[in-house]
Amino acid sequence: MFGKKTLVELIEELRKDSQVTHWHEIPEENAKSVEMPADLDDKITNALKNRSISQLYTHQKSAYERVMAKDNVVAVTPTASGKTLCYNLPVLQRHMNNPEGRALYIFPTKALAQDQMAELNEIIDEMEVNINSYTYDGDTPANIRQVVRKAGHVVITNPDMLHAAILPHHTKWISLFENLETIVIDELHTYRGVFGSHVANVIRRLKRICAYYGSKPTFICTSATIANPEELASELIGEPVRLINNNGAPKGRKHFVFYNPPIVHKQLNIRKNGTKVVNELASRFLKEKIQTIVFARSRVRVEIILSHLQELVKNEINRQSIRGYRGGYLPKQRREIERSLRSGETIGVVSTNALELGVDIGQLQVCVMNGYPGSIASSWQQAGRAGRRQDESMVIMVANSSPLDQYLFQHPEYFFEGSPETARINKNNLIILVDHLKCAAYELPFHRGDTFDGEDVAEILEYLTDERVLHENNEQWFWMNDAFPAHNISLRSAAQENVVIIDQSVVENHRVIGEMDTFSAMTLLHDEAIYLHEGTQYQVEYLDWDEKKAFVREVDVEYFTDANLAVKLKVLEIDKQDDVGQYSIQYGDVMVTAMATIFKKIKLETFENIGSGPIHLPEQELHSNGLALTLSKDAFASEKEDHIEQVLMGMAHVLQHVSCVHVMCDRNDLHAVPEVKAIHSEQPTVFLYDRYPGGVGLSESVYGQINEIIKECLDFVWNCACEGGCPSCVGVASVDPEAEVKKWVLKILSQTVTYE
Amino acid sequence: MSIKSKLLRMKNHLQVEDKIERPVEELKERIEVKKFDQGNGMETEFKEMGFEPFYFDGERSYRKRLLYPFDGERDRLLVDSFHRLKSFWEENDHDHPLSFRGKSLDRLLFFDTETTGLSTGAGNVIFLIGYARLTEEGIEVTQHLLESPSDEAAFLSGFLEDFAEDDYLVSYNGKSFDWPQVKSRHAFIRKQLPKLPSFGHIDLLHSARRLWKHELPSCRLSIVEEHKLHIYRKHDIPGSMAPILYFDYLHDKDPLHLKGVIDHNDQDVRSLVYLYEEIARKLFFSKEVRSSSMEHFYIGDWFEKLSMYEWAETHYKKAIECSTQSFSQGYFRLGLLYKKMGEKKKAIDNLETSIDKSAFPPVEAWIELSKYAEHDEKNVAKALTYAKEAYSLLKKANRVTEKKKIKQVEDLNNRLKRLEMKKAKQMGG
Repeated sequence: MFGKKTLVELIEELRKDSQVTHWHEIPEENAKSVEMPADLDDKITNALKNRSISQLYTHQKSAYERVMAKDNVVAVTPTASGKTLCYNLPVLQRHMNNPEGRALYIFPTKALAQDQMAELNEIIDEMEVNINSYTYDGDTPANIRQVVRKAGHVVITNPDMLHAAILPHHTKWISLFENLETIVIDELHTYRGVFGSHVANVIRRLKRICAYYGSKPTFICTSATIANPEELASELIGEPVRLINNNGAPKGRKHFVFYNPPIVHKQLNIRKNGTKVVNELASRFLKEKIQTIVFARSRVRVEIILSHLQELVKNEINRQSIRGYRGGYLPKQRREIERSLRSGETIGVVSTNALELGVDIGQLQVCVMNGYPGSIASSWQQAGRAGRRQDESMVIMVANSSPLDQYLFQHPEYFFEGSPETARINKNNLIILVDHLKCAAYELPFHRGDTFDGEDVAEILEYLTDERVLHENNEQWFWMNDAFPAHNISLRSAAQENVVIIDQSVVENHRVIGEMDTFSAMTLLHDEAIYLHEGTQYQVEYLDWDEKKAFVREVDVEYFTDANLAVKLKVLEIDKQDDVGQYSIQYGDVMVTAMATIFKKIKLETFENIGSGPIHLPEQELHSNGLALTLSKDAFASEKEDHIEQVLMGMAHVLQHVSCVHVMCDRNDLHAVPEVKAIHSEQPTVFLYDRYPGGVGLSESVYGQINEIIKECLDFVWNCACEGGCPSCVGVASVDPEAEVKKWVLKILSQTVTYE
Repeated sequence: MSIKSKLLRMKNHLQVEDKIERPVEELKERIEVKKFDQGNGMETEFKEMGFEPFYFDGERSYRKRLLYPFDGERDRLLVDSFHRLKSFWEENDHDHPLSFRGKSLDRLLFFDTETTGLSTGAGNVIFLIGYARLTEEGIEVTQHLLESPSDEAAFLSGFLEDFAEDDYLVSYNGKSFDWPQVKSRHAFIRKQLPKLPSFGHIDLLHSARRLWKHELPSCRLSIVEEHKLHIYRKHDIPGSMAPILYFDYLHDKDPLHLKGVIDHNDQDVRSLVYLYEEIARKLFFSKEVRSSSMEHFYIGDWFEKLSMYEWAETHYKKAIECSTQSFSQGYFRLGLLYKKMGEKKKAIDNLETSIDKSAFPPVEAWIELSKYAEHDEKNVAKALTYAKEAYSLLKKANRVTEKKKIKQVEDLNNRLKRLEMKKAKQMGG
């Protein structure tokens, strides 16, 4: 029964489907090519010719010219547009001009670094010149490391390695830092939020060390489509940047389809479960052996979909043909999956956004998204996984009941015509800054009057001196502590410590199967939680919170677990405030306490609640930045707490979703909490706060555009097809028709808008 | 909110390194803290501790030189041993890791550093360099002390000045820690200072591990000293305390905090002199020092790995001789050694003895004998018997690791199969 229909036939079938609410066809586009730069070395020209490249796309040439003129650039390039030449070409030419010169490539992940080295080495081999390019990461053997340090013309690494292994040991890298001419930062758009703020500080440290050794490198950044590539790049590297966006690469025809599952409960506007629809759609393609990628938003979803899809191939010998891919798998396992995707042995993959990045998995034909990935930029990244080169391809986005998805499906023009999101970092987040100042002081002493890439840091250095981390002498601050600061600072996660997941199914052979940050662990690895890993169910038998270990055992049950997190908020200090309509909004420092309370067991097939249990874990505390939308009791129908609470929950729900769209972040990065009587004002309040100590500028950014965001919220709830409120617009609180949540949310939102 | 008050509020999220609690006893012993002004204030205190100031490029560093005159029978033996070792290296053209061939005794530099941490990155500073030299009169210990982190050029230049290109370093873990650290610090001031010469380097930790890692709880210098050199330190400050004491010194500006570290380092470098002598004599003058059977065995093993077979033979024999029990493993290794040396007869004898001497001889002994019977004696039946012995022994053994055992079983099965076939062929043919 396999392999009968072609992709074209399946596309035609789908055209007749009434649940398709929007069909967007992106026509194919021809290449815009130009002549090779005249000053390009013959060896490079010939090497490219041998790889049948005799012309450049317009953006490649622009990038080359700007870099050779020593400008920092950021090139905005969609998937498969030949972005690597944007940096490889100038780097190679610079080497021909000065064989002593060095280049440093920074990729967000190890896997990307490996890919890029292979590609660069192919050109170098064709050129028949002696250019050493090496990856330098945790897997590099000790004996090779020395060679890389002394003789690597191009060193390919990742920010974590730069942070913990290269910069703190710069005395071993003198020949790199003395001769560093070019720094390449690929996948710029991934450096946002907490991670981006950390990396910006790593780059401050890198520049400081370059200056010490007398080099001043040019930066080449490449980015997927975001609203502010120039701003992000110049924030990240702390230098002015030129934008290159005259993309000249050809594109194959692509069908982008919005698929809204049918309504199964008219009154509540409840739709058929998106996950089930995704299963059905993906199966159609997989049955015909059409290589398909499915994106799900959470790890749990990935595993649920995976177990359904694997049913398709359960009778085949090669069960590996459909696989999962997400954070929490061990790196070795991931590399293996990437390989088997490229070789075609795996036809289906279910992934979280871990695969959004440019990891080379070859070309897939179909992409199915379980829900809106949370940002336009992210959607296009995922969509780019299908039809990377020139053939016809298909992208299907299946809506969830979430307000965001429904909002988007109401307004496809927002998606296809609107501007993509803004990526933000806050490199002066005090906690992040202090962490990196410690590393910087470890690397080189600070002199009085020194800045940290322009930032005056004397006050912090004095604080660290008081804490006896630094020692001041002779107008200089020296690191005087026996610790190695970079080891205690992780660029990736807010929590400093991860919970290790240990499978004890086989008594004599316990093994580590993955790890998870502590905040997620509170709701995913509590005692009795069902943890899914590569389609296998595990039950958590014991979570050792002190030792950060979760002991799990393989089980076979028909439910998954979903935990509640109770959150309390205290305003510590108000930095800014403003009026919004009849009410007011404050922005400042907040303290959040979070506690996992109970979990529910939810049946896999029907998604019904079949039981619950308590969670006993200590409270977690968080100091951060947040905003408070302060309302008034009089605004509500009654002063009954129940009513006020339900309306506030509805508002928090819609505010959080719309805000996340506007500041380009994951729902986990910006939390919303309603409080009937906030401590600081004693009024009903909706809080939004950054879920990272010290904040990363998300809520500040929301504060800056609050009027616009509230208008969008209003518009969205107003246009929702439901009657009295549904999980899509004002959330689950609306199930009680008495409360008339939708009506009241609309009323209060409209009073919160300021019209000019 | 000011940055400072924010910092204080967020203190929980900021990871300020834990301050290490000092042991109570040590606190009691601490001498009252005196505060000194900057400038020349500490010079008096340093002088009292035997250090003299030293200037370079406007920076100051402190240096101390102290002679421990040779005294008594023990030291006479020490001097004698070193002279004989020197002649030994001249006469024997070995490429042995302990060799200082071609160097006069006063070129040996027994070397150790104290640093502000155990990491090897750019922020780890050396604050004390000590080394001992052998002179005509005694052991001369020189120590350089970093007065403050801004005087590093003076500190290192004082040390480099005292150094000759043909000096030979003897250290304890210096190859992977102290010397890379010197290189890293030198890199910071490489423009002010002469290039760092590349010295010959003997790392005694490697030797100590060869000889004693199976018997000592750890090969830390203080433990080796106690068990092997019978040096017992009184009031010693453990090396791990050194960073904290240096931070205290910088903070309180009181050189007395450093007294313990300075004494510790002084003892360390002198111990290295005796340690070198002890190890070298055990290896090369084995007749005049008592070594245990196991020491001889591991020395033999080391020589074998260095392809110095005659030396290995001597020590394996001694290992057997000194052993109070029948030392099957010793005969076995001696057998294998003879095989390498091409002395088949002796090899077989020793392998057979190793089997006779133990109820559980090494499986490999049977296998070796089986190989010999098959290939040299052309006695397939005998070879098969031996292989079967090996097989039954292997089945009983559970000491070997799973992986190794699987490989052995596999190999042995192949051998058995091949021998059975050969035997069948012989019978048939």
